[in-house]
Amino acid sequence: MSFDVQAAAAALDRAARDRAPVPRLTDGPGGAGLDAATAYAVQRAGIDLRVGRGERVTGVKMGFTSRAKMAQMGVDDVIWGLLTDAMPAEGALDTGTRIHPRVEPEIAFLIGREVTSPLAVEAAVDGVAVGFEVLDSRYAGFSFALPDVIADNASASGYGVGAWHRPRDLANTGLLLEIDGRAVATGSAAAILGDPYRSLRAAARLAAAAGVALQPGMVVLAGAATAAVPLPAGAHVRVVGAGLGAAEVTTR
Amino acid sequence: MTQTATPATAVERAAARLLRAHETGVPCDPVRDLVGSADAAYAVQERITETWLDAGRRLAGRKIGLTSAAVQRQLGVDSPDFGMLFADMAVPDGAEIPAGAVPQARAEAEVALVLERDLDHERHTAADLIRATAFALPAIEVAGSRVRDWDITLADTVADNASSGMYVLGNRPVALADVDLRLCGMVVERRGEQVSTGTGAACLGHPLNAALWLADTLVRVGRPLRAGDTVLTGALGPMVAAAPGDVLEARIDGLGDVRVAFAKETP
Repeated sequence: MSFDVQAAAAALDRAARDRAPVPRLTDGPGGAGLDAATAYAVQRAGIDLRVGRGERVTGVKMGFTSRAKMAQMGVDDVIWGLLTDAMPAEGALDTGTRIHPRVEPEIAFLIGREVTSPLAVEAAVDGVAVGFEVLDSRYAGFSFALPDVIADNASASGYGVGAWHRPRDLANTGLLLEIDGRAVATGSAAAILGDPYRSLRAAARLAAAAGVALQPGMVVLAGAATAAVPLPAGAHVRVVGAGLGAAEVTTR
Repeated sequence: MTQTATPATAVERAAARLLRAHETGVPCDPVRDLVGSADAAYAVQERITETWLDAGRRLAGRKIGLTSAAVQRQLGVDSPDFGMLFADMAVPDGAEIPAGAVPQARAEAEVALVLERDLDHERHTAADLIRATAFALPAIEVAGSRVRDWDITLADTVADNASSGMYVLGNRPVALADVDLRLCGMVVERRGEQVSTGTGAACLGHPLNAALWLADTLVRVGRPLRAGDTVLTGALGPMVAAAPGDVLEARIDGLGDVRVAFAKETP
């Protein structure tokens, strides 16, 4: 039985809008043979649905950028998803519009110039910042196989970034995730592929291969420095990065 | 009010068991059958310390253990612990630790503080500690357990000198004013592969918090920190099991890097 890309994209899109999780695609009709390429086709079809509603692509996010996560998922490459202008969650975020949101501290890059070659992407970076990503798997129990999470736009749901700083060495920048003023996760940007710039180059490589242009003004979320933690309602969430200030959001 | 004291003989027997494991290199049973409380366990540690001082070993500082929330949860405790550092436990940056020198070795990256004043007040402030600190160094602690398979409770590790083994200090001193010890990233690599990451905040919120706890605690037990002492303040990330032949490099942002090698087992 062949796999219906459009139907899968529509089901995931509806799950996000209805805040009702769906079964894993890999457990559904034709899902047993779902490969990464088809899963990315589902992801793109889902983004097309968002764009059709007037959303605009604002950047990319990288996933599985830590060795631990790659080992856990049994993969040896990163995955990526797309960000849209409906996702920024700076200032306030209603957890009631999510299924089971989690938050994690990130390093963010701001693309300032046209990216002429994936290897030269660093030259196109205008700014770096500390940020956070809100993840919200559209699958029940946040449980998925690799093709499932690719199809689900790498669980992307929201993000925020702090003030942009001039590009700098970020290979071992300390990051702290606080909820209501208490540290709940601490780590180093080294956990992001050894250096967040490596994740940036991977983003450029994957974007080029997929025919997506990293355009000036786009944001690249390089990956998490710690495991994600559940995002509670009625909380103040702050991510602090050494020398980078903070990014914060209040939830209700 | 009377307290149920651990009989002196139990303390002696626990110390003897650990000392035998130390001398023979053969790990022993836990000592929690002999000493249950933290106080009794520290009495065992003190007994072993006296033995080693009598043997001519020079006390060079202290190590703080159980400084991460995860490890405290794992052992069901809400406080760190401490052990003695002797001068013969220090190896130079990049040097090789002989096979078997540290039983069941595990490594972790830490911030070391080197003192230039005594810390002998009953209670110390952050100002006291900062004034007493000459400089900070990056460090690798190579912890080891005399207890078989690291089968430890709080009492076992405290009695066993906080599972201390050896330690490596970096060579470039950094002033406290020049490093953010809370937000410094930490990474440990083995053959270029990342095996541990973390940050200063993982150590009781800030490595100086751990050092303050130590300074006050040591005054209470009668062996205060002195000028010249080195304090290993506690792990900035998960411990790494060290195998023969391994070379580990730790980097702490703003503090520098430090390496340790483990000799291959002799055939």
